[in-house]
Amino acid sequence: MNKQLIEIDGASGEGGGQILRSALTLAMITGQAFQIKNIRAKRPKPGLLRQHLTAVEAAAAICGAQMTGAQIGSTSLSFKPGAIRAGDYHFAIGTAGSCTLVLQTILPALWFADAPSSVSVKGGTHNKAAPPADFLIRVWQPLMARMGVQQEITLKRHGFYPAGGGEICATVSPCPSLQGFDLCQRGALRSISATALIAGVPAKVAQRELAEIEQKIAGVSTAVRGLSNDQGPGNAVLIEIEHENITEMFTSFGEKGVSAEAVGKQVAHQVQRYLHSGAAVDEFLADQLVLAFALAGSGRFTTTHASAHLLSNIDVIRQFLPVNITQTQVEGGVEIVVS
Amino acid sequence: MKRTVVFGFVGTVLDFAGRGSQRWEKWRPTIGLCQHDDVLISRIELLHDSRSKSLFERLKQDIAQVSPETEVVSVEVNLSDPWDFEEVYACLHDFGRSYEFDVEAEDYLIHITTGTHVAQICWFLLAEACYFPARLVQTSPPRKRETDGVAGKYTLIDLDLSRYNKIASRFAQVRDEAVSFLKSGIATRNPRFNRMIEQIERVAIRSKAPILLCGPTGAGKSFLARRIYEMKVARHQISGRFVEVNCATLRGDSAMSTLFGHVKGAFTGAQTERAGLLRSADGGLLFLDEIGELGLDEQAMLLKAIEEKRFFPFGSDKEVTSDFQLIAGTVRDLKQWVAEGKFREDLYARINLWLYELPGLAERSEDLEPNLDFELLRFAKEQGEQVRFNSEAKQRFLKFAASAEAKWSGNFRELSAAVTRMATLAENGRITLAQADEEIDRLRLSWQLSSPGVIDVVLGERASELDLFDRLQLERVIQVCQAADSLSDAGRRLFNISRQEKAKSNDADRLRKYLARFGLDWASVKGTR
Repeated sequence: MNKQLIEIDGASGEGGGQILRSALTLAMITGQAFQIKNIRAKRPKPGLLRQHLTAVEAAAAICGAQMTGAQIGSTSLSFKPGAIRAGDYHFAIGTAGSCTLVLQTILPALWFADAPSSVSVKGGTHNKAAPPADFLIRVWQPLMARMGVQQEITLKRHGFYPAGGGEICATVSPCPSLQGFDLCQRGALRSISATALIAGVPAKVAQRELAEIEQKIAGVSTAVRGLSNDQGPGNAVLIEIEHENITEMFTSFGEKGVSAEAVGKQVAHQVQRYLHSGAAVDEFLADQLVLAFALAGSGRFTTTHASAHLLSNIDVIRQFLPVNITQTQVEGGVEIVVS
Repeated sequence: MKRTVVFGFVGTVLDFAGRGSQRWEKWRPTIGLCQHDDVLISRIELLHDSRSKSLFERLKQDIAQVSPETEVVSVEVNLSDPWDFEEVYACLHDFGRSYEFDVEAEDYLIHITTGTHVAQICWFLLAEACYFPARLVQTSPPRKRETDGVAGKYTLIDLDLSRYNKIASRFAQVRDEAVSFLKSGIATRNPRFNRMIEQIERVAIRSKAPILLCGPTGAGKSFLARRIYEMKVARHQISGRFVEVNCATLRGDSAMSTLFGHVKGAFTGAQTERAGLLRSADGGLLFLDEIGELGLDEQAMLLKAIEEKRFFPFGSDKEVTSDFQLIAGTVRDLKQWVAEGKFREDLYARINLWLYELPGLAERSEDLEPNLDFELLRFAKEQGEQVRFNSEAKQRFLKFAASAEAKWSGNFRELSAAVTRMATLAENGRITLAQADEEIDRLRLSWQLSSPGVIDVVLGERASELDLFDRLQLERVIQVCQAADSLSDAGRRLFNISRQEKAKSNDADRLRKYLARFGLDWASVKGTR
């Protein structure tokens, strides 16, 4: 194993947070220490933010890492992992972080622990700029299961921004081996279903959002899911697209000053763009999939386009793992091959 | 990295938003402060009274939800009136004094958005006075349509003004202006003088203690005293009058009454009451020039007036009060006078706190040129006529003014007079070489006449009986004699040409005879007798 310290430049490329989380996951699994410099160097508020720190601290807890620079505002972090420890973990991260991002960072490490684990993360489960818990459960988890991962994610309680207070639990069993697979074709379309979540928000809002979506997307089935008021206030629209080979999900969030119609329109646009592209995987899932395939050592998929953060994510993966990742322009998107 | 600790009041108005889930839609400063992605608060100490207990509990619960890293501490304080300055200040002061600050490990912030305006003022004062080693944090709600969430904005305010470059340079500028003001805008170059003025500026602004200005006549003591007064008025430090008196002009009963006032009938001729200068200077500045000339009785009265700000007017048995800043001026060596018993030691000790020696013009030859320019400007202002030197004339005059020959015994007053003369005589606004030369001669002569020259020393009163012709000659002769080793040596130097024509030199004899005409001999000229 390469024991040299891996150096990552946070100023190069895009997606500061995703680079950091990928590096944490890879460091825990490979046991390789890394140092990341110039974290968010060019941003107005440079350095680590609380949402990053929650992921860093959760990762450190799982593998007993030694760290320097794990502070708010720090522009450099070194992370020296220890052995992954199975266990019963509880993290409370408030609304500054996202439960789903923390889980995506640490769960892959627990796949490689020597015993089953359970994890509970309390905080925001449905935040902007992070996949909602439903995405983890409906999209990510089935794909990981196909690779041999044994984990069960449960949404215990919704936590919307800004109140938070949600909880996601996961149980993980160690998996003997990971198998990559071929996800270049979606297969036949099976269903498109839109769900409007509301908590402490008038039902009318959900109906208007769904009405907008019905106008934009043919054949969509819709449902309003009312949550108890104390989980609110919160409103999100999730659209799940099930194809033969893959389920994808798109989300938008209701917020003050934005009309219900605009919320519906926004998510409908994302769906239309995905449906038109012909690629199997959208850009957000691509980040996760390439990491999992790299851990398996093989796999291929098509995605809508090679986003800047996918490319910098691939760069980080290459530093940790001896894999070959290629990208080829194909009709309707980009084909990513891990070998 | 230090842990961040916040002090703040539970905002009974701003932090209150009911119990329903809709409370999350309202901006609550205390909650918002805990939601910033770039601030991690380890502990928040929330001050509240017993009535706000349930609001505190609600906040504590909500903070735990949005920021589980933050420990929320209840500080129960009971204020009967949160708008009462004295009560709020005392309460926060007590809290600060009993709080165990750990400045090595913790970084303190005071959240000033919640609480009454009075509380805000008290927080500010306590932080500024370092009772709380903290910076202030001000929060504000998110603006409409702002995309960065519900936390709003926060601003850190450090009251240590030296940390702000722009403010620091502003202070430096104000100081430079004040120093320049004290120098009347004259760009003086003498480093000793400049240092002294800088210190006087600092002392004058920060202290009300007496200042003692020493220096020869015309060095600018009175001028400087007036400038200090004007500067203090400009800074709103004093509002009374500038009262100036030369103590050498005060004699006898009138000295007492001029300074301290008198009551009707205090002495013959005291037909009406008089306030006296000390009372006129109440709230202002009293400049006592030539303080050494003050009689011992007046000195004693003055000391009491300075120390107690109270004194008895002449002939009165009722004390009056007057609070003034004292600046004293003197040409004397007051320390020597104290030793000789001519000046009270206790008064000297009292006024000697800030002692400044104003050097004479001759000691500040590098300041001649800026002062010359200043005097020309002054003349232009007073006479409405712009006068300039032609450059040769200026060079000639400055060269003379800086030479050892120029005594400047009248110092700046004398320079001012010289410029006035030259400028008045100038044709078409130009001071020519001829006028400069003329002035140089005039100055030379006045110094020869006025200075107690060697002749005055050697001849005493008889010197006044001499013609100028004899006086000029004798002066040079005496100077040569004083520099010579012996009578013969002096003779050789004085008759250096004519002695060569003589077979037998009789220089010593010729000199002896010359001196004898004025009743002098070698010993008296050398000053050994």
